[in-house]
Amino acid sequence: MSSSHQTEQGHHPSFKQYALVAVILFAITIVEFFAIYPDPDLIGAAKIPVLFILSAIKFAIVIMFYMHLKFDNRMFTILFLAGLALAFAVGIAVLGMFVALGGSPRAFASANAVPYEEGEHGAEHAKPTTVPLPTVPPAVTTPTESAAPDVDATTAPEPVAEPAGESGAAASMEIGTNGDALEFSASSLSAASGSSVTLTFTNGSSVNQHNWVLVQNGTKDAVATDGTSAGPGADWIKAGDERVVASSKLLDPRASEQVTFTAPAAGTYQFVCTFPGHNFTMFGDFEVK
Amino acid sequence: MAHPAEHAIEETTTGLSHRKMLMWIFLGSDCMFFAALIATYMVYRGQSINGPYPIDIISVPITTISTFVLLCSSFAMVQALAATNRDDQRGIRIWLMATALLGAVFIGFQIFEFNAFKNEGLSLGTNLFGATFFTLTGFHGAHVTLGIIWLLGMFVLALKGRLGPATSLDVEIVGLYWHFVDIVWIIIFTLLYLIGGFDAGPAALPGG
Repeated sequence: MSSSHQTEQGHHPSFKQYALVAVILFAITIVEFFAIYPDPDLIGAAKIPVLFILSAIKFAIVIMFYMHLKFDNRMFTILFLAGLALAFAVGIAVLGMFVALGGSPRAFASANAVPYEEGEHGAEHAKPTTVPLPTVPPAVTTPTESAAPDVDATTAPEPVAEPAGESGAAASMEIGTNGDALEFSASSLSAASGSSVTLTFTNGSSVNQHNWVLVQNGTKDAVATDGTSAGPGADWIKAGDERVVASSKLLDPRASEQVTFTAPAAGTYQFVCTFPGHNFTMFGDFEVK
Repeated sequence: MAHPAEHAIEETTTGLSHRKMLMWIFLGSDCMFFAALIATYMVYRGQSINGPYPIDIISVPITTISTFVLLCSSFAMVQALAATNRDDQRGIRIWLMATALLGAVFIGFQIFEFNAFKNEGLSLGTNLFGATFFTLTGFHGAHVTLGIIWLLGMFVLALKGRLGPATSLDVEIVGLYWHFVDIVWIIIFTLLYLIGGFDAGPAALPGG
């Protein structure tokens, strides 16, 4: 209100009161600090509500005393609290949006993201550097045991999911991608231990780069994480990674490569694309019998 | 509030100063701005697939010190306003400069921190942690920087003897802005440092 200046003055805190407020703010900050440091689990899961309450108290003290809302016209309090309430609504809306996505924003994002192209690849992606393939419609096959999506005329189609060959025998198989989706065309492959496997990996995506990496069971994410640090120059695979059994190069869209390796000891392995983020949806099991 | 001299002329339908009301509305809307950035940080918390992670680089003790510095600056700010109201010219200059200097020390801590993080390999584009952390704390730092410039402008006015009870609303408004920056930091400090500062790698990632 246009209450007189003098009246307002009377309500403003004195130096002592301001100093007391400052001391309280310091004290709360010290309590917060020692509640979590040096051992962040000192008070366990209780720390989150405790810290929320302590910071809310600090927040309230500052707006009430330092910003004078306690003494000022209530209109200012209403205006600010309205903004604050809307701010909470914004926060809850953003968090809720992602909770509604099954709580896994990364998986959702990797499945729906508009692919990012490195500058040079963007310009070139119509002319792949390795074996060019005829333009084929994106495979619509569902990822079944034996799906080989794009049957390329240059490679002899073979039954892929059959345990291929005896020990020492040669086996060939194919795998592609489900079009532009971050998925391999097959969720499992198999071969006989000791057989010489020739796998033709075809990147059926029109936009994304992919590789095919055979790794020890349960290590796909760890290998991909290390591969992320290794960078694109290393085909997103850490040099000398002992968990990697066999791997293709990083293939440009529509490119294809033959990977030859000897099937390792019997057991379950995994195959994965180690391009950053793809490992969460783009993987499968490789059974060696 | 209206002031006896020039500001008393400000006749408004609510009887409240439009400038002060505008500042409160701006601060309310700025809450939403920071809420969006904070919520984004929380959504992507723990979702980075490569390091550095918060636990590798966040130093809670150092940031606690810079938090103290910012709290001190808020105390200096209320003293500057008190000095303005009692027409203590020397006090106005001392406390305004103290507020600006403490704000500058806080920014110094932030520059030191950003630089240390960069040397540890964390940049805006390294991972989700880097992107959300730098965006949020960077915008807060920009607010503090703007406040310092504003305070220095007020300091120049104080040197010319243009601040006093008649113009205390000018000091009060910069004070509101400054305290707001302080309370935003109270929230950021709690969420990003005290609670989120010990987050490690992608153990909790979905899909694996």
